[in-house]
Amino acid sequence: MTRSLVTRIRDRAATTPHGVAMREKRLGVWHEITWATYWDTVVDVGHALLSLGVQPGDRVAVQSENRPEWLFMDIAAVAIRATTVGLYPTNPTAETSYLLSHSGACVHLAEDQEQVDKVLEAGDLPELRTIVHVETRGLRTYDDPRLMSWEALLERGREHRAAHPGAVEALVDAAEPDDVITLVYTSGTTGPPKGAMLTVRNAEFVLETVLERSPFARPAPGPRDMTLSYLPLCHVAERVLTTWYNAGAGTQVNFAESIETVPQNLREVQPTLFFAVPRIWEKLLATARIKLDSATWAKRRWAAFWLRRADGLGEKLAANGGRHTAATRLVYAVGWLLFYRALRDRLGLRRVRHASSGAAPIAPEVLQFFMGIGVPMHELYGMTENAAVATANRPGRVRLGTVGEAHDGIEVRIDEETGEILTRHPAVFAGYWQDPEATARTLSEDGWLHTGDVGEWVDGTHLRITDRMKDIIITAGGKNVAPSEIENALKASPYIKEAVVIGDGRKYLTALIGIELDTVGAWAQQRRIAFTTYRDLSEKEEVRDLVQQVVDDVNSRHNPVEQIKSFRMLPKELDHEDGELTATQKVKRSAIDAMFHDLVESMYRGQEAGAR
Amino acid sequence: MTATRTRRLAPLGRPELYTSYRQDMALLNTRSKMLGALGVLVVAALMPLMVSDNLLLILASGLVLAIGAIGLNLVTGYAGQVSLGHAFFVGVGAYTAAAMAGDPDGRYLGLGIDFMPLWLLGAGLVAALCGAVVAPLATRLRGLYLAIVTLGLVFIGQYFFFEWDELTGGSQVGRDAAKPVLLGIEFTADYGFKGGWTEEQKLYWLFLAVLVIAALVARNIARSRVGRAFSAIRDRDVAAGVMGVNLTRYKIIAFTISSFYAGIAGALMFSASGHFTPESFNLLLSVQFIAIVLIGGVATISGTIMGAMLIALLPRIASELPAFVPFLSTSASEHPNIFDFEQIMYGVLIVAFLLFEPRGLFGIWHRVRTYWKSYPFSY
Repeated sequence: MTRSLVTRIRDRAATTPHGVAMREKRLGVWHEITWATYWDTVVDVGHALLSLGVQPGDRVAVQSENRPEWLFMDIAAVAIRATTVGLYPTNPTAETSYLLSHSGACVHLAEDQEQVDKVLEAGDLPELRTIVHVETRGLRTYDDPRLMSWEALLERGREHRAAHPGAVEALVDAAEPDDVITLVYTSGTTGPPKGAMLTVRNAEFVLETVLERSPFARPAPGPRDMTLSYLPLCHVAERVLTTWYNAGAGTQVNFAESIETVPQNLREVQPTLFFAVPRIWEKLLATARIKLDSATWAKRRWAAFWLRRADGLGEKLAANGGRHTAATRLVYAVGWLLFYRALRDRLGLRRVRHASSGAAPIAPEVLQFFMGIGVPMHELYGMTENAAVATANRPGRVRLGTVGEAHDGIEVRIDEETGEILTRHPAVFAGYWQDPEATARTLSEDGWLHTGDVGEWVDGTHLRITDRMKDIIITAGGKNVAPSEIENALKASPYIKEAVVIGDGRKYLTALIGIELDTVGAWAQQRRIAFTTYRDLSEKEEVRDLVQQVVDDVNSRHNPVEQIKSFRMLPKELDHEDGELTATQKVKRSAIDAMFHDLVESMYRGQEAGAR
Repeated sequence: MTATRTRRLAPLGRPELYTSYRQDMALLNTRSKMLGALGVLVVAALMPLMVSDNLLLILASGLVLAIGAIGLNLVTGYAGQVSLGHAFFVGVGAYTAAAMAGDPDGRYLGLGIDFMPLWLLGAGLVAALCGAVVAPLATRLRGLYLAIVTLGLVFIGQYFFFEWDELTGGSQVGRDAAKPVLLGIEFTADYGFKGGWTEEQKLYWLFLAVLVIAALVARNIARSRVGRAFSAIRDRDVAAGVMGVNLTRYKIIAFTISSFYAGIAGALMFSASGHFTPESFNLLLSVQFIAIVLIGGVATISGTIMGAMLIALLPRIASELPAFVPFLSTSASEHPNIFDFEQIMYGVLIVAFLLFEPRGLFGIWHRVRTYWKSYPFSY
């Protein structure tokens, strides 16, 4: 019998039936779901899928915010040897349509009316037989024969279970290591999304590596640990953290109400293991800064004093690989009692014993701030195609600016010619779904995965990532510039949300900059600058000057080729629905170029005119 | 589908992680609140062993005032029905208790019921009955009009108390108050069945016990369906009515419960002095209760208790003042004297609190708590 996510959950339900597997907040109360309930529901849903004619190898799609039903459906599909396909709840209709038809899903879980509408508008989906919806609000008058409520699905499952006892269990025991458990569609900054196939073997290797062979936190993650699930579950990082760790280590998953309520939910849940993308860390940092700045005079002075200490602590810790010295330990202990404990509590990070950032590059300043206030930060590196494990900064051996060392059992090397990072290990994916061409481009015959990232070794142990290979800017002068490093330096300012550096084939670098509405809004209010909309605020002379200061500051830390000579303010907040961002909030450079073409050109024209 | 386990408290160290509605609504929903309440209770219970009998008597009178004021806060603070007639219900309670416990062969009306809980309950119930009779007024009137009408109640009451000699002993004469005796313990005597405790100590403990029960009941009323209906009526009676709150019913309930509390307070108010006259139940007493509610904080129980203690201690504070303020005299014939000061302080405190801290002492406490709760932020 193959050990898999499903058997791990079954084992937990047997050994600790009353332990808390997850919590979901409804009407202000966190309802707890035990392991026994989790497993029981999974079996019911599994039977329901069988009764709907789902065969091993078939695809089951889910398009929903994070909630227990996502996990029930995911694990149930895997239990009957089918494949789960996750869709972003923010995917517009066109993308939803593409993903459903490309994956050929036969059952689709659409969370609510919004998601159901997308499917119904998606056009011809011959393979889709059943659309399950969790929330019935607004759907009463819909009469599409494919629609089925979650309750009806469970009822169907129970009937099938009574008629065919053990049918699901038999399939669970028949699972093979090469069964594809999920298709993770990569966000696709270029071209349509590609579905990476991850197998039972991939998942097992991940869990064995980061939980058992070389646990990423000490003591190893276990049933006493709490996590907050808030990033889209169809993204590989959140899936690993929520579904896989939950099954593998028994961590308690707490579902945030939505991405907007994360700060509030963080305070309530006080997770012990916390992963966030750079965007969230930047936002947390900005929130802390604003709230401290707008506190009363005494609190402000007090905070300023301890934040200066934190700067020092952060520097020492960063220089020392994240380990305390006797002196920093003493300073931190006093500071913890008087300030850091309270600050971390308000931010919801008081009990975090392992914090991590990944999925995109992050500015070292942000990491250092959190290290300074006592949050043990670790930058990780991984991608969909290797199930999000490759390298990680290990506790006590942290190097800022790098993504850490390769895990045990993982081979990482850098291609001598192109500088591309290659990885090889059992968690490397089985290929792209129905796209052997792309698979061949990414996966070499001897098992090396081409990550598409350019990197270099630091001290022979730690990996530093320069940038995405295709994002590297080659200026008209022939210099290679990594834009993301400059962009992150800009985004480390609490006032800047988006920064897009431009300059490929141009004489010099320029940037499009989007402000952070909350912080700049508060800043403007303090200075009594009246504004109406995002655009209005962006175009204020004072705001331009504020951004100019940040740009000058960043420029002073870069050599002349890497300096931003000119910038323009983005007139709107970038958005997934408008096609400017991917579902994971990464900027689509091609779309930006097309959409703000005039703005970009004006930066180069203006300079030439000025020179003339 | 999802099994829900209920737990009394949030998982350790996560006070805001409510896993059940019951836990969310619990009176003491966090460990720190639980420990704090326990601490206050222990200090309050040990007070008689720590302070002099003089001061203890003042504190004890504060406890009784608190019981009455909690009643007023339920009707005025929670349900928003301004009542200036509280003194009347206190009087009804005092006379009911005195009559029930009084000597059947004495000069005045007496039923000879020695069992304290019985006359205490009787005093509450008769007052509650009066409250229920008066309550329909409140369903017809609101705001200022209700205040004036309830003010009339005080004067009607005074007339009855002055003229009904068989019950009250008449103006300036008065009658003995009900003597608290329970299980052979005479609370008003300096000897007990185990000896040792003084009259003041025993009375203090008795009042404290009654207050704790009264406060707990009030808090539970406030957080129940009834309490929510009260708040809805206070915030906007028309809106409450539209939401399905039966205005007549809940206004009657508010007055009835409030009067019950007043009756209990009246029954105990004169235990220490042992004698009282009809003059006690004048407008000033009503104003005193209003002052407690405003100073303590509208719609809070703990604030009411704080307010009652402050008002009870006011004479004592005034008498201590000449040591610091040389021009204040302790003699009643000279001006300005401490008695003037005490009278003025009522007014000054009410005006000051309404202007600067409308939420009363509780508001101050709340502010202090928020300061530290939000530390190191300000919100």
